[in-house]
Amino acid sequence: MSSQTPTKFDVVVVGAGPAGASAAYLLAKAGYKVLIVERGRGAGTKELFGGKIYAEPLRTVWPDLDKEAPIHRWVTRERISFVKGERVTTVEFKLGRKVAFTTYLTEMAKWMTNKAVESGAILVDEVRVDEIIVENGRVKGIRSGPDTIEADVVVDAEGVNRILLEKLGLAEKIKPDQVALGVKEVINIGKKAMNERLLLDEGEGLAWFMVGDVTAGIPGGGFMYTMKDTIALGLVLHIGKAYEAAKTGELKHTVPMLLEKLRTHPFFSKIWGDADVLEYGAHMTIEGGLRYMPKKLYMPGLVVVGDAAGLLLNTGYTIRGVDYAVYSGKLAAETIIEALESDGPTEENLRKYEERVRESFMFRELVKHRGIEKVMEDPMFFTKLPAMLNILLAKLYEQDYEEPTVLEALLDSVKESDVSLSKFMLKLFSVVSKL
Amino acid sequence: MSEEKGLKPIKIEDLLQRTVYDVDEDPHIEIIDERGVPKELTMLCPCSCYTTVGEKLLYSYEGCLECGLCRVLSEPWGLRWEYPKSGRGVQYRFT
Amino acid sequence: MRIVVGIKWVPNTQAVRFDPKTGTLIRAGVPSIVNPHDFPAIELALRLKDMYGGEVIAVTMAPPSATQGLEHVLGMGVDKGILLTDRKFAGADTLATSYVIAKGIEKISKEIGPVDVAIFGHETIDSSTAHIGAQVASWLGWPYVYYARDAKLVEDGKLRVTRQTEKAVEEYEVNLPAVVATAIKALKPRPVRLSYKLRAKIEKPIIAWNIEDLGLDPRCTGLKGSPTVVANITWMPEVPRKKIVYTPKDPRDAARWILKQLFSDESVAGFLKKALWGEE
Repeated sequence: MSSQTPTKFDVVVVGAGPAGASAAYLLAKAGYKVLIVERGRGAGTKELFGGKIYAEPLRTVWPDLDKEAPIHRWVTRERISFVKGERVTTVEFKLGRKVAFTTYLTEMAKWMTNKAVESGAILVDEVRVDEIIVENGRVKGIRSGPDTIEADVVVDAEGVNRILLEKLGLAEKIKPDQVALGVKEVINIGKKAMNERLLLDEGEGLAWFMVGDVTAGIPGGGFMYTMKDTIALGLVLHIGKAYEAAKTGELKHTVPMLLEKLRTHPFFSKIWGDADVLEYGAHMTIEGGLRYMPKKLYMPGLVVVGDAAGLLLNTGYTIRGVDYAVYSGKLAAETIIEALESDGPTEENLRKYEERVRESFMFRELVKHRGIEKVMEDPMFFTKLPAMLNILLAKLYEQDYEEPTVLEALLDSVKESDVSLSKFMLKLFSVVSKL
Repeated sequence: MSEEKGLKPIKIEDLLQRTVYDVDEDPHIEIIDERGVPKELTMLCPCSCYTTVGEKLLYSYEGCLECGLCRVLSEPWGLRWEYPKSGRGVQYRFT
Repeated sequence: MRIVVGIKWVPNTQAVRFDPKTGTLIRAGVPSIVNPHDFPAIELALRLKDMYGGEVIAVTMAPPSATQGLEHVLGMGVDKGILLTDRKFAGADTLATSYVIAKGIEKISKEIGPVDVAIFGHETIDSSTAHIGAQVASWLGWPYVYYARDAKLVEDGKLRVTRQTEKAVEEYEVNLPAVVATAIKALKPRPVRLSYKLRAKIEKPIIAWNIEDLGLDPRCTGLKGSPTVVANITWMPEVPRKKIVYTPKDPRDAARWILKQLFSDESVAGFLKKALWGEE
């Protein structure tokens, strides 16, 4: 290497996702020498999420977000559908306020990383980090193949697969019950057809959560988000339970086939018809952020942000990952700046990052919804409740001559969907208290 | 669930054609000892990269979406699991 | 040693789909890559530099977006990138392309330092002509060896190029400067390295030359300089193929079984008999 090329930076950020990019942006803007190392070809090429981002936490980093970011549509409608075979019960809510938008994370991560690069951070892409180097209990830098780069602080934003943290001993091997698998198709429906069929105005978006037998008895659900002119359609499946179902033979279809079943479902497919599938992808997400959180989010010379830190809220009906990632990147950057301005990235100084995380809305939310993943694993909610609802409505509406009273229908549907009413009420209470 | 008339599920090998890859010459994932890799991955792997021929579990890395599922479900000694090098592997565009 | 390696920024053909409704190629949103068959050439160039010192310069004729491809090969250890870019280069066939590249190499020799070897890949994945190496050699008047798998310097400053044909390993000694084209998959490329990629980001060793910089006559470049005419494009529908899995215990059984399958098809059997035993 020639003498011009540095081998030391103030901060090295591993991963150009939302968490890494926001930390890099704020640190570079504050004048620090920042290197972002990303394994993908440019930022965003390894990114996949559902489709919806909550805007307000992002505005604390980029106040001009609404004007500049690649926002596809603002979510103005939320739908939940309970699916049992061909019967579908749907609840739709028209929001009074715009809080979340849809986008491609591939575009969003690129936008965020460009912001960091425009502020002076250096992005090295196509490079995999193999190791976080520790000397005398202090993180000294990173290694990639034969090359090492020193840094005062390393920001680990490696994502849900914690290869580096596991090597470092800061995180344990992932257990199947801690994660869910997301699979997603992007359907090229076209703007006009989408707006007409979903009754959307220009720039307005729909988020749709589907629960019931779209996941073939596995805890999880289906999702659909409207992008600018495409639809993101996907499934999230609890991995531990999916593994059990595959072992017992209860799982009759492969995971990609489950998603194809949803795409070709007689009710839902009315929206996109035979529109072309542009892309298919998969990514893991977290079930229960607190259980996924490493023992510590810092050590001398290191902070952990985003998915790697378990900072993702999964309530079953909604997943908030990108805004948590960005906000954790912001808290990390603020702590690092303070540390570098005082006596360095010591244990005591970086502990403040974890303290800030614990004082933030993220931690409060994660604590409040703690255990929701356990409840959501209960078949009561993702198969029996949807079945019951649909049987109830079938009793009320699918009659030729005689209609039952609502009470008769309710009691029948409870019986037919194999639900104990008292248990159901108890469980409903435990869910509502955690949602 | 039945399918909409005329709408047929796309086979996984055709579905993966929609996704862009720059496939590396070297596999980034390899089965080291198939006793440490569950056969259920033939059902669960989102790109159906795992197949069985007779009793043998085979893995082909070309269609890998780099999700990490097989790493979670396998023993550490069952698989050599890495991300592809040099920016190769899946190249997401609209996700 | 100063080694030039020619690369092409091509659409990732795996991702190009055919729209059966309209009969056209769907290229929208398809990312480009460095032509995969160029990697053995890059690797050979870097090995020569490892052995004899000097520098490797990657050259490409492309729109400015190819900077990303040049950065990729800089990340492998290439020292400089030259982007030959001009709107007047667009629509070029291999003749017009090789002309621009040859002139680029002449300019490198004059302004950066004399070029000893120019190395190209066998062919590109988006046009598969395998013309460029030979045509550049013709323009420059340099000797040309193709299907190369390896090369090294020998006595009298000659380059000994090893190539493998179907029936033999051949060695050619050529005077420098020379042009070499590598065989497909001849050498496994080295990965992108953090230190090289970082150097590329900081030193930005990519130079862009346009038609004036090269002093070329626009009648010889781009569409105007291209005598090739595309008469027609037809779509060959996919032939559905049968998959048979046969898993014998003994590999010899597998070999016998494959032969039996092959010879059971008349046309294949005819081809094999001719190829193996010269029978008609």
